[in-house]
Amino acid sequence: MTVDTAWIDGRPATLEDALQAAAGLLDGSRLPFVGGLRTDVAGLRSALSLARRIGAVVDHRLSAAIYPFIVAARENGAFLAAPAEMRRRADRVVVMGDEAAEIGADVIRMLTDASPDLGIGTRGSERLFMTLGSKNAASPGSTASRHVDCASSEIVDVLGMVRAGMAGRRSGEGALGEETVATITSFLTDAGFCCIVFSPAEFGELGTEQIFGLVADLNETTRASTLPVLAAADAMGAALQATWTAGFPLRFAFGRGAGEHDAALNAGERQLSGAGEADLAILIDALDGAAPAEAKAAIPTIAITADPASAGAARIAFHVATAGRDYDGVLYEPRFGSFVAKAAQRNSELPSAAAILDALTEQLGERARDAA
Amino acid sequence: MLTRLSGGHVVDPASGRDGVADIYVEDGLVVDPPSNGRAADETIDCTGLVVMAGAIDIHSHIAGGHVNTARLLLPEWHRAFQARPGETALSKVGWTTEETGLLYAEMGFTTVVEPAMAPSSALHAHLELADTPIIDKATLVVLGNDDMLMSMIREGESESAIADYVAWTVSASRALGVKCINAGGSAAFKENVRKFDFDDAVPDYGVSSRQIVKTLQKAVTSLGIPHPLHVHCNNLGVPGASSDSIEATIRAAEGDPLHLAHIQFYGYGTEGKRRFSSRGQALADLVNATPEVTVDIGQVMFGQTVTISSDELRQFAGSKQASPKKSIIFDHEANGGGVVPMNYKEKSYFNALQWAIGLELFLLIEDPSRVFFTTDHPNGAPFTTYPDIFALLMDRSVRARWLEALPKSVVKMTALPEIEREYTLGEIATMTRASPARLLGTPDRGHLGAGAVADVAVYRPGEDKAKMFGKAAYVLKDGDVVVKDGAVVKRKFGRALTLRPEPDKAMKTRLDRYFDDRYGLSARWFEVPDGALGRDEPFKVVPCRA
Repeated sequence: MTVDTAWIDGRPATLEDALQAAAGLLDGSRLPFVGGLRTDVAGLRSALSLARRIGAVVDHRLSAAIYPFIVAARENGAFLAAPAEMRRRADRVVVMGDEAAEIGADVIRMLTDASPDLGIGTRGSERLFMTLGSKNAASPGSTASRHVDCASSEIVDVLGMVRAGMAGRRSGEGALGEETVATITSFLTDAGFCCIVFSPAEFGELGTEQIFGLVADLNETTRASTLPVLAAADAMGAALQATWTAGFPLRFAFGRGAGEHDAALNAGERQLSGAGEADLAILIDALDGAAPAEAKAAIPTIAITADPASAGAARIAFHVATAGRDYDGVLYEPRFGSFVAKAAQRNSELPSAAAILDALTEQLGERARDAA
Repeated sequence: MLTRLSGGHVVDPASGRDGVADIYVEDGLVVDPPSNGRAADETIDCTGLVVMAGAIDIHSHIAGGHVNTARLLLPEWHRAFQARPGETALSKVGWTTEETGLLYAEMGFTTVVEPAMAPSSALHAHLELADTPIIDKATLVVLGNDDMLMSMIREGESESAIADYVAWTVSASRALGVKCINAGGSAAFKENVRKFDFDDAVPDYGVSSRQIVKTLQKAVTSLGIPHPLHVHCNNLGVPGASSDSIEATIRAAEGDPLHLAHIQFYGYGTEGKRRFSSRGQALADLVNATPEVTVDIGQVMFGQTVTISSDELRQFAGSKQASPKKSIIFDHEANGGGVVPMNYKEKSYFNALQWAIGLELFLLIEDPSRVFFTTDHPNGAPFTTYPDIFALLMDRSVRARWLEALPKSVVKMTALPEIEREYTLGEIATMTRASPARLLGTPDRGHLGAGAVADVAVYRPGEDKAKMFGKAAYVLKDGDVVVKDGAVVKRKFGRALTLRPEPDKAMKTRLDRYFDDRYGLSARWFEVPDGALGRDEPFKVVPCRA
């Protein structure tokens, strides 16, 4: 049985015809958008290369999940840790907010599965956890955990009170009483090495800045760092690769050659909604695991997807293999805080996203040569 | 295809040539002139031009997690972010991987070493290097703050066991050598230690910086790794303590090869009312008297830049002087690190004296084969300032002009005005070609003898040395003309030079268990497979010495 690998307007087509049709759409586009970007390093390299070739706007489908972290870090700096180092060293962990325990379950498991074994002041002690959030469900499950009940929306203010107290300044009435604030403060300051796990998306840019500021204050006298957990690890990987390739963590446009960054103007949601300048989208969705469905695009799309059923009303669709599952791929791994090579778990005859994107770039080159 | 570079002034210290000659290139290599009268298929007229081997930069932070964090931290410095491109700080920096490769090539550099690759960031670093066009690359892997090594020293494990661990790390990370950054200092900082000297012991391990450096030096030597242990000393930038640290480290070489990085940052004394003075002469004297030691400078130039270092302790201390006021400090496995923006100001007594100390060291260290040309890019300055530094070294009158613009208080505190030495073209070629190739153990480059890779830089000589070295007339990479009149005309990809020592099987098994049990990580994640980089031939293996 032959597996269909390409469609034009919902009808099966040969790969060659689909590539030609896609190139035709791109030829007619005034400003294309290259998005989704749910693919491996090879796929991203090809996507960014194609985007540069066609002068496209670039963003990842889930970049909204990482932008509060990126903006806070680049505006005011940060203290950042590796999960594996915190597993060995942190004697006190604050899981802050309601989202971290779910989003960062893998990372938190690295901390609950072991006791600190590095450091004079930390080695051999039982790791103490504090959860600061509105739900007991956020508990990491350790026996040595303490929960401080606080609505997520109040946490940033409470941290302001903690910082004021540490600096010897008075603060007004907050959501928690003075005694509780003092308890939180001493939990942080009495640590040999304190680690704060939190989801930047939950606290936004300013809230994230507050958490980084608190850790900066702590490091004046003791040691502390953070593990920001992100709902979209592959968006972080894409942002890092986009940064070394074009200088910016996504949300840029190649319209004038070099990447130009504007996080509002070039946001994928804006471009796909039809409120932006793009008139055609190439959307790549070729990773394992569920991701929130892309909002229905208001502009014509070329879909490069591991799940053709999700291609919907795409003008052109390509069925591709899944990186790290159907073929060897390099992916961002949040537990490692970097990129790792993942070996294929099965064979697939489907092409990779990179192969389709490279073929499309080649097709555009041929058309340009023919036109000349 | 046989290519002839005809009639140029060949400056090739490795072969002793310094005069007009033809260079022949075929199949990517330099070849002897044809003895059978065979005509070249292509001739590049180099009459009136200077012909050298492609330059080699032994210490430039161009790839990896920390470098990329600097890009992330400083979007406002990228030319495209602001409304007036070209006028923004760092607008000339090779900021992306693409620009890095192209800008280096345009200056005639064909091999660049990323000197601070964390084992956990090896794949990331190599992915960036694989995206850096034209130039060949290499990396030094960082050890010396890692639990494994310090534990092995503490437990008194054998030299051969430690060498096995170093071999595994070099092999897995595809490195060309080993670097040690503030040995034990980052680990001590994680224990809240704020100052760490060469003979201080890391809390909980009881091993000193000296023990770590000596242990790694022995391991590197016993494995036959050609490049000596590359050391970033303790107390970088601290007046007095920095020069004490580097003096102690140099004396600890004890007859075996050792490379000291960016020594300008250690040439600081405490004399004068500002408690900041030059110890350039004393440091140069010590280097001159210690033949087993090589150094690179880490020259400071004026303007906005960003410091990128795996010396977490000193980067944390330096973050107080961040300009603009933001920094990122990493508590990673082993070294960690920090990214701290810095603006070196010509009118600042401190910055101007740093500039002068760097040049003192360049000019007072007598043997150009033991002093290497670096700015510790981008820590002292971006690599795009190299042409100006060549001019400062080669022309005393250029130095005098720069000195005139500095605060008078600085001129009183430096020997620079009295130094008459001017580097010759031959000495420049020694420092940037012949010697780096020897230091790295890559005899296939750094010279224009038969069998060398055909990496060739051709310059248009003139009074203005900055102009000469800023835009090469021609650059050949593996025999292909890639740059003409200072602009890239052909884009291709080079390879990463790596060692491939055979790791001991028992050590491999031990490390599988160690990373799994202690860190909850797979040892496989530290490895860089060939196929991961998406290039046909991503690596070129350099042999270890027998």
